[in-house]
Amino acid sequence: MAREHLLKVGVSGVRGVIGGFLTPGLGASFAQAFGTYVGKGRVVIGRDTRTSGPMLTHAVNCGLLAAGCEVIDLGVMPTPTIQMYISHVKARGGIALTASHNPPEYNALKLFNREGLFFNQYERSELLDLFHQSQFAQARNDEIRSVKQDLTTAPALHIDRVLRHVDADAIRRRRFRVALDGVNGAGSEMSVHFLGTVLQTQLDAISVDPTRVFPRIAEPRPDTLTELAALVRRAGADVGFGQDPDGDRLAVCDETGQVLDNDDVLALAVKRALTHTPGDVVVNLTTSATIDDIAAQHGRKVYRTPVGEANVVEMMQAVKAAIGGEGSSGGIIYPAVHLCRDSYTAMALLLDLMAETGKTVSELVAGLPRYSRLSGKVPFEHGRLGTLMQGLEESFPDAQTNRMDGLKLLWEGRWLHVRSSNTEPLLRLAVEARTAEQAQALFDDAWRRLTS
Amino acid sequence: MNAALRISHVGLRGIVGQGLTATHVMDFAAAFGTFLEPGRPVVLGRDPRLSGNMIREGVVASLLACGHDVIDLGIVSTPVVQHAIQRLDAAGGIAISASHNTIDWNALRFFGPSGIYLNTAESGELLDIYHLHRFRFEEWNRLGKLTVSGTAIDAYLDGLARVFDLERLRPLRVVVDCCNGTSALILRRMNERFGCGFILINERVDGRTVAHTPNTSASIAELQLGPLMQPLQADAGFLFDMDADRVALADEQGRGVSEELVLPMLADHLLPKSEGKLIIANLSSTALLEDVAARHGGRVLRVPVGRQAAIDALSTYRPEQIALAGEGTGAVMMPQFRFVYDGIASMLAILTMIRDRGQTVSQILADYPSHHILKAEVPLTSPNIPALLMELQELFPDGIMDRSDGLRISWPDRWFHVRVSQTEPIIRVIAEQRDSEPRELFETLLDRVRSLN
Repeated sequence: MAREHLLKVGVSGVRGVIGGFLTPGLGASFAQAFGTYVGKGRVVIGRDTRTSGPMLTHAVNCGLLAAGCEVIDLGVMPTPTIQMYISHVKARGGIALTASHNPPEYNALKLFNREGLFFNQYERSELLDLFHQSQFAQARNDEIRSVKQDLTTAPALHIDRVLRHVDADAIRRRRFRVALDGVNGAGSEMSVHFLGTVLQTQLDAISVDPTRVFPRIAEPRPDTLTELAALVRRAGADVGFGQDPDGDRLAVCDETGQVLDNDDVLALAVKRALTHTPGDVVVNLTTSATIDDIAAQHGRKVYRTPVGEANVVEMMQAVKAAIGGEGSSGGIIYPAVHLCRDSYTAMALLLDLMAETGKTVSELVAGLPRYSRLSGKVPFEHGRLGTLMQGLEESFPDAQTNRMDGLKLLWEGRWLHVRSSNTEPLLRLAVEARTAEQAQALFDDAWRRLTS
Repeated sequence: MNAALRISHVGLRGIVGQGLTATHVMDFAAAFGTFLEPGRPVVLGRDPRLSGNMIREGVVASLLACGHDVIDLGIVSTPVVQHAIQRLDAAGGIAISASHNTIDWNALRFFGPSGIYLNTAESGELLDIYHLHRFRFEEWNRLGKLTVSGTAIDAYLDGLARVFDLERLRPLRVVVDCCNGTSALILRRMNERFGCGFILINERVDGRTVAHTPNTSASIAELQLGPLMQPLQADAGFLFDMDADRVALADEQGRGVSEELVLPMLADHLLPKSEGKLIIANLSSTALLEDVAARHGGRVLRVPVGRQAAIDALSTYRPEQIALAGEGTGAVMMPQFRFVYDGIASMLAILTMIRDRGQTVSQILADYPSHHILKAEVPLTSPNIPALLMELQELFPDGIMDRSDGLRISWPDRWFHVRVSQTEPIIRVIAEQRDSEPRELFETLLDRVRSLN
């Protein structure tokens, strides 16, 4: 029986279910550890639209003020917008209160450094140690600062940065018909403004009320965006965009109402970026080989990292990459705008590509190298993970292996990747091959070996 | 003993950052959120101390997490919080204030429905929940909501205006030392709205600086207000602590009036008008109370020192039986004000008394028998306090004895009280006598306490 981990305190921060698990006290302590780590000074906070957001905001404010920090509260704000604002105001760091694509009962603290980027792995473990040691900075009365609100600067800043890297006039001239599903998330109002007013598209938007709960599963995927697909067909839209609650991930629907594979969205963004920007590409191990083919066409390299935005960002920074992302989870990271996963950059790059090429979304996708992908989840018992992985590796002695994150086995034109979930005793199995038959055969073979 | 943090029946208090941390605040507020019945909002207010910014955030988070709606009044006095709890029919409330402690301290004070301090049974339950650490946190879709209200001071002033004829007080010239606390905000507003002419000093409210120790004592009142009284031709001077629940007084000649006298003065003013004839006071306050009570057919009930004992005593009587309750620190509760320690209300009552009688403060005081009180603190070194008290008791077999808080023995013209402080490791020795100082009695007591301790 798979048991969900209702609270996770780790190098990525704290995430858990509101109620008995992610308590206000825990939020405050973690924030105080954070404040101790970054030092007395300004810290930026913002949140997505979860019902627990205000409560957790006050808890985090308490911890930060107790450490002697000054808090700038951006209110409900997309995570990438918060990240850009942090570096803009030269803050010591920032905290986004969001469990991203997780269900509404979850919330989490996402932590950022003074540049608005994830901390690297060494910094993250240092911060976690500090939290566990509970030796926090304790401000005295005359050192305690206050909470200031800034609800307006950040969206304009973000939009301005994005516009510098696309041909906004070309996009406006096309008067694209765009459908949007904002999942009632932090980006709801900003997305309507960005697409409707700034880029002058003819916008049909659903679920853009930040005061309401998520109307669908929060993660934007083909199976959760049926309403968006229907809207695209009804409105005759050129493209449909589906966001997650904190506006970092994006899924895309083509003009026929077909929701794209997130790997293909990344591939289109990579294609657009490499024609305009020097540098290599960084993606995680589970991302499609399509990226390798596109990079090869442009004479660029592809670096692979363990799954997780922080890992991708850390590598991107090291190799000064042109673009990066995580295919399956719908994330595009374009450092020219900011080194963070950003749905606004993704929307702009895609509209720019459509304007530049004059092609429809389905035509653009048809021009991508074709691969077939399959994925699934396999429950396992604790204590059996090592044996399962080893067994799988030994069954395929002809494959090239990569043990960086779980097990990836590579052959010419196909691969499989197995890794354990961070939150549940589940194995995530992903395969890719040139044809659907090959992919199915590889998937079935691996599935049988993992479950027997 | 770490004096920087105290968790007790009166709540949580400590030096912020040294003893009192965000964790204490959040846990205590969560315990209170668990203790309160769900369904009605919780009222919150704070004094201007900067640490109140941090504590406010933690309290709000914990209360919301427990499913309570929170109404935050911002920077207001403790009596304003208590007033709002009743006005808004709230489940209870929290005042973030260390009152008369120095600026680096802060505290949480807890109130039940109608704004009354928790009694010992209730605060015991709160402490148990805090120590058990088992809090009732609600699920994600049942969390509370925060409302910020900026009108609480006005509503409180409306309440005062219903009891006191504020216009009638206008001709009086009154100087007030606000000690950079919340009384400045209230009195400024009272000047604006009711045309009162309170002259305010130390009225800057920035939460960082205080002109002097925020304690309400005759000596500070004399030091701060004394030099101003005659040049300004003032009728009375008042001194408040940070959250305006206590008051001290200076007379028209610039002399500090002993904080012991505030309660008897108010008793003298209120007893003739009051249906209730009972005065609740602690064992350490002046015997002048009995003299004043006797003039108006009142009776004094002596209870152990500390707010808790007074609150417990109050809850055993019907409100209409009581005329007044308080202590010799300038903290007085009146039934018209829901038995809240309210310095502003006490000031208005004294001003009304001055108008009613057409007398100066010193003339009013001259009418009372003179009592001379001597107080000392002896460091507590021996654990054998019961033996000490027994020895003293045997030494004075002829007086009336009360052992409910240390030892108090009284005679018709004098009394003494020896007790161990609840807040510091000291033994307090107090002796009072009519007409002359009880020097001999006092020296004997000190001798005994020092030798046996």
